[in-house]
Amino acid sequence: MSQLTRGTRLSIRIGAIAAVLLLPLVWQRIGLGIGSISAMQSKQNTGQDTLRFVAHNDNPPVGWPSIDRPLALRNPLGKDPQALATGAKLYVAYNCIDCHGAGGGGSMGPSLNDGRWHFGGSDGEVFESIYQGRPEGMPAWGGRIANDQIWMLVAYLRSLHDGRDVSTENFTGRTVERTGH
Amino acid sequence: MSRSKIDRVWIGLTFVAAVASCSDGASGRPASDSRAPAKRSDSSVIVAGARIAVPRPGDPGDWPMPGGDYSNSRYAELSDITPANAKKLQVAWAMSTGVLRGHEGQPLVIDKTMYVITPYPNVAYAIDLAAPGQPLKWRFRPENAEAATGRACCDVVNRGAAFADGLLVYNLLDGHTVAVDAATGVQRWRTRMGDIALGETITMAPIIVNGRVIVGSSGGEMGVRGWLGALDLKTGKVLWKGYNVGPDADVLIDASFKPFYASDSGANLGVSSWPSDTWKRGGAVSWGWVSYDPALNLVYYGTSNPGPWNEGMRAGDNKWSCTIVARDAATGKVRWVFQVTPHDMWDYDAVNENILVDLPINGAQRKALVHFDRNGFAYTLDRATGEMLVAEPFVFTNWASGIDKKTGRPVVNPEKRTAEGKLVKDICPSLEGGKNQQPAAFSPQTGLFYVPTVNLCMDFRTRPVTYIPGTPYIGADAPEKMGDGGFGGEFIAWDATTGKKVWGVKEPFPLWSGVLVTSGGVAFYGTLDGFFKAVDARTGDVLWQFKVGSGVVGNPITYRGPDGRQYVAVYAGIGGDMGLLIAGDVAANLPYDVRERGSTLPGLAKWTSWGGELFVFAIPQ
Repeated sequence: MSQLTRGTRLSIRIGAIAAVLLLPLVWQRIGLGIGSISAMQSKQNTGQDTLRFVAHNDNPPVGWPSIDRPLALRNPLGKDPQALATGAKLYVAYNCIDCHGAGGGGSMGPSLNDGRWHFGGSDGEVFESIYQGRPEGMPAWGGRIANDQIWMLVAYLRSLHDGRDVSTENFTGRTVERTGH
Repeated sequence: MSRSKIDRVWIGLTFVAAVASCSDGASGRPASDSRAPAKRSDSSVIVAGARIAVPRPGDPGDWPMPGGDYSNSRYAELSDITPANAKKLQVAWAMSTGVLRGHEGQPLVIDKTMYVITPYPNVAYAIDLAAPGQPLKWRFRPENAEAATGRACCDVVNRGAAFADGLLVYNLLDGHTVAVDAATGVQRWRTRMGDIALGETITMAPIIVNGRVIVGSSGGEMGVRGWLGALDLKTGKVLWKGYNVGPDADVLIDASFKPFYASDSGANLGVSSWPSDTWKRGGAVSWGWVSYDPALNLVYYGTSNPGPWNEGMRAGDNKWSCTIVARDAATGKVRWVFQVTPHDMWDYDAVNENILVDLPINGAQRKALVHFDRNGFAYTLDRATGEMLVAEPFVFTNWASGIDKKTGRPVVNPEKRTAEGKLVKDICPSLEGGKNQQPAAFSPQTGLFYVPTVNLCMDFRTRPVTYIPGTPYIGADAPEKMGDGGFGGEFIAWDATTGKKVWGVKEPFPLWSGVLVTSGGVAFYGTLDGFFKAVDARTGDVLWQFKVGSGVVGNPITYRGPDGRQYVAVYAGIGGDMGLLIAGDVAANLPYDVRERGSTLPGLAKWTSWGGELFVFAIPQ
């Protein structure tokens, strides 16, 4: 945990562009305190350089526990109500709302409140989606906004649902905000 | 309501009389492939003297361009299928496109080959209609950046290809235009026209005019700056690109610009009708249909909403957003404009199709352009000058009490003006419009327009928004709901000489499918709940319907097959803006399913699911 916090502080401290350049290093630091990751890293030294690989559950590199790593990350801000409230404001200020809908109901981009996550719904996975961007058009915000702001967004987004996968039968379509043409 | 009922009864009686006096009307085998509409009794013509401005050249059994002809009439001179035998229609064959997203647009049919373009990743299929079982001649998978899928506002649709000189030309979602050899499926050229990093995508169907490919951009919700461009058909080189906002030099406005209304005259209105430099992010993209009049050598198209939706951030008329534009096809120079909704504050894009017809209006035959706008009014303009001839509401409309005949400007209801922080309730039509991109059709036999309409209203609340390149630039929430009357859409017949509805078929859901009308006297359309229907073009009687594999948001076409029979083809594949949440709101690793769109489309999930199929119908031999 302390490793993680230090890693987070580090990446806040370094400048915006430097954060992108040093991203693999940051991840390495984050990973050092986690047993399974350390084991993987020793394997990697004998194989391809996977540190630059953006882990994804659909295409993990050989031997890489893609689920373990981001799952192991914890939001340093936890469920702090102040962080969550600020995260809700950032969600509007950074135009997340017009892609993902008011309250995360979905629109141009996928819903963020139905418990269905394309790239995983743990703290670390949601952080990674915001930081790295996603190939379907989600911009990479790492280096453009501060990491603690990303964690505030994570706190807000994870508050929108209680972890359930809302089945189609029970989906009420509670949000109808549109982006239109 | 009662008026239209009376009209319908009256027309029905007229039709019965016409059939009784005209022997080929009700017989099982009408005059096959009659080229002359005049063959039918004139007593069945409802608007006499109305005709397509630019009839289709070449084989009437092909479907050679997106709207069927340069007029965008979507009318075909094929008459095997009639009101008398339409009930016998059956599926002849079907094909999966392999893509489960919104299938807007339509196939082309040229020389015994059908060309299909899928939604992203925009695969092109060439289907051999002459070979038994309709095998593929080729398939073409373009290079197409996946990031585009998250930059497109309203599903990852594509509205079809154009064809000329052996080349199939179409647009990719990631902002490229490609030309493919129609015989081999080999890419001939590829030109980058838009920048997805800024949110520019392309979804529209190009048209080809004298060796020039006319292309327009999407991205009006992303703070981009809209344009229409022309590429050389042979090389893909950009010949001209006219912006829809900005200085006259960029818009391609010079001394040849002759707008009809005084408020459109003046230097650099594309800059001065915006505060400071907001025009640079002003939207006004060209994602709809393009028409062409060879006699005037003008291309016609409409521009989208201005950005952002928060109107307080862009005081002024915001020219040339929400505008019908006529450009010289050779040079791109703007000849005239008609700003349908100045200073739009409801997302009423003016991109809907402009249908070029010659119409008798007040005793004079006029070169007209008919346009069913998102704002709920149907406009009949003089296509040579941009003068407004008729403007009447074609759906329930409360944001404006009417259109000023002298200025062409809407008389806005002050209660429905949006403003920052203010919740404005029950604005009709909603931002989906009285009609959206789904194109209407025109029949010279009846003189009527066949229009797929939407009955939705909305609440609107704006908020401040910051421009961040590549993210939406909107600043408003606008939840929608069903309009009054207990129906979601209506298929209507419209007299554009007077601006009156002649009859209508109410539908439980908004219509998002285009229309086809034939010389057989049959109109075809599809519904979101997955029905494909044939309607008597004179009476509005539903003759036949078939439940296809998914909701229909594509546009039906018809063609004569190599076996000599008439076929009707349409895509089934719900999506587009109306089906966006339905089609898009599931995780990639979960089984595909359909979700309700809340209060807007209650119950729809019971009727349909994702799909991506081509259905082809014919009367069995």
